[in-house]
Amino acid sequence: MPFSLTDFLQALAAGILVGSAYALMCVGLGIIFGAMRVINFAQGDFMMLGMYAAFYLTTGFGVLAFLGPYAGPIVAAFLAGPIVYGVGWITHRFIMSRVTGVGAADSEGAGAYGQILVTLGLSLILQNGGLIVFGSTPTGILTPLAHSSWEIGDILLNKGRCLSFVVSVVVAGAVYLFLSHTRVGKGLRAAADNTEAAVYMGIDVDRAHRLAWSLGVGITAVAGGLVASSQSFQPYVGFDFVIVMYAGVVLGGLGSILGAFWGGLLIGIVQQMATLVLPYQLQNTAIFVVFLLIIFLRPQGIFGRLSERT
Amino acid sequence: MTTTPTRRAINAGLALAGARALGAIAVPGLGIASAAAQAKSVKIAMIAPLSGPWARQGQLLRMGAEMACDDINKAGGIAKLGGAKLNLVVADAGASTESAKDAAQRLIAQQPDLVGGFGSWLSSFTLAVTEVTERAQLPWLTLSYSDAITNRGFKFIFQTSPTADDQARNTLPTALDLAQKVTGKRPKTMGIIMDNTASPVSFVKPLLGGGIQKLGLKLLVNEVYTPPLSDATPLVEKVRSNRPDFLLLLTSAMPDCKLVLEKLDEFNLGKGKVPLVGNGAPFGVPELAKTIGTDLLEGLLFSVANWPMKGQEKFVADFKKRTGEPWVTQDGLCGYGHVQILKAALDSAGAADRLKVAAAIRAMDLTTGPAAACFPGPIKFDAKGRREDVPILFAQWQKGVPVTVFPSNLAVAKPFWPTV
Repeated sequence: MPFSLTDFLQALAAGILVGSAYALMCVGLGIIFGAMRVINFAQGDFMMLGMYAAFYLTTGFGVLAFLGPYAGPIVAAFLAGPIVYGVGWITHRFIMSRVTGVGAADSEGAGAYGQILVTLGLSLILQNGGLIVFGSTPTGILTPLAHSSWEIGDILLNKGRCLSFVVSVVVAGAVYLFLSHTRVGKGLRAAADNTEAAVYMGIDVDRAHRLAWSLGVGITAVAGGLVASSQSFQPYVGFDFVIVMYAGVVLGGLGSILGAFWGGLLIGIVQQMATLVLPYQLQNTAIFVVFLLIIFLRPQGIFGRLSERT
Repeated sequence: MTTTPTRRAINAGLALAGARALGAIAVPGLGIASAAAQAKSVKIAMIAPLSGPWARQGQLLRMGAEMACDDINKAGGIAKLGGAKLNLVVADAGASTESAKDAAQRLIAQQPDLVGGFGSWLSSFTLAVTEVTERAQLPWLTLSYSDAITNRGFKFIFQTSPTADDQARNTLPTALDLAQKVTGKRPKTMGIIMDNTASPVSFVKPLLGGGIQKLGLKLLVNEVYTPPLSDATPLVEKVRSNRPDFLLLLTSAMPDCKLVLEKLDEFNLGKGKVPLVGNGAPFGVPELAKTIGTDLLEGLLFSVANWPMKGQEKFVADFKKRTGEPWVTQDGLCGYGHVQILKAALDSAGAADRLKVAAAIRAMDLTTGPAAACFPGPIKFDAKGRREDVPILFAQWQKGVPVTVFPSNLAVAKPFWPTV
């Protein structure tokens, strides 16, 4: 065997920890796709906004400096969610609502062509706007969490990634409970299942879509805030993640929140563990080999049968 | 199907028509102004990444180039061309080789009066861009390292940096000598962590082709990744398992460098426990200190084509004052130097003609003057377009700043080998 047990366990741990952040990103994207059937090409760029929000709260403006270098970045990641939720609300109210929901139901492809163009446009605006506002210099949140770890035998668990894992599980769990057990969440799912029937039942579909869109980008922003503690970033960083997000969502089963979470986690595990047997350069290739295998053997995704929609 | 124009469409149409009418009036005026300006200015081009992951490096290159243009123009412009001013035309290479090549094609098509240019920082970009500039017979300077740039038989490309092959051949022996001098013990084993962009690949080619064995070293770790890194755990785990005497780190992008350095520290291999030797300017950029912290960088030694040297104190002070940057890096220095080389070539050619400028660069042998002051060694190119007799520089992070430590005649501080 070309690797030791320690190597195996270390790669597995890294996969789970990295994958948890991917999982949260995928949940955000999964909500949007599940509720609105919109392929959001700007999702990675909203994540970038979350990274910068967390950065400015901790390092840039130092609003959370009083919390110190350990708690500050985690709280900032949480707060990035509501901030980007607000941005999401505005973008849906003034832009996305023109190409989604009841208003777009009669347009060609139910607004799908417009959605693709609008989200691509949003992506370009956010990237280049970010370049103007934040500059091109890569930046990051300076925290000891990024380079300190807990030791379990020979296995080292990065503290920042561990906290990120906990936050991801808590946020994803809370979102799942919100969508499945609250009246608002049920309304959102009803709007996703059948827009026309939902309207007849008195559900404000546009409002439900606005909630789904804002929640989706807000949750991905929390994931971005968590990643910002361990990676440096610049306004184009979203592109590196958006493909991973889509792969995770499709792997888990389009429209399934739980599926998106497990899909993201699986991608992290495959990405890190592939290095045990393959050259490191093929790390991301391994993701897509697994992706293609699952699509070939189970086109509906891992959780597709359990829940086709949110 | 028939369509009825809406009020909005009619308004938009009217606005467009108005804009076109205004354009028709404005364009001839602009043309006259442009023609007048052309008589007194000479256009040179810079293609560098100004957006995307490498935008920062392009920005630094541009800072140096603009400073050089201002200095030259303030001092009276190109003397042999009646005091013509230098006009820098900047194009964004973007984030991919395709966008870099597109930028070059647009530039060549839209600016037929260019006399020379420089760029595009990343070797992969330069390889693409120079396919275009060579066809246009535009003399092109580059700081990119890859040997492939000047291995294609091109006549109009001039590489001001020592090639990756040269740097690879010189980096390790110099680092090993330094280790032996400081610790009394020559390292016996090494590891390599690198990305698969053109420059690191060129750099390790001679090492993996027998260079490492010739130096009496045993390679314990050899990991190549595709940037950007998502996590450096599996890479650094191999370093921890094999524990080489030192690690050769070849990361082109700063975010990857941060991940590896922080992971080394997390695995208790950082802060000199496994001495690090790097190659390339990204190891000395100011944002590295801001995002990693200087304690993790202390002692990191890296070879680089160009870095502020003894005798450049005034330039460094002026650059810092003008840009607000904490120190000058290879990119700012080369941006300044490339413009000065083009200026010297224009002065020598005595004509704003790209073929004559190219001939002047080929015949150049400068050891003094503003252009020569920007680079270690003379400004003299061989038939391939590579500079001759170029010493390799080493810089090292010392007390939060990367300073030139080798060769001693150009160094501003003494080197040390981390011992823990």
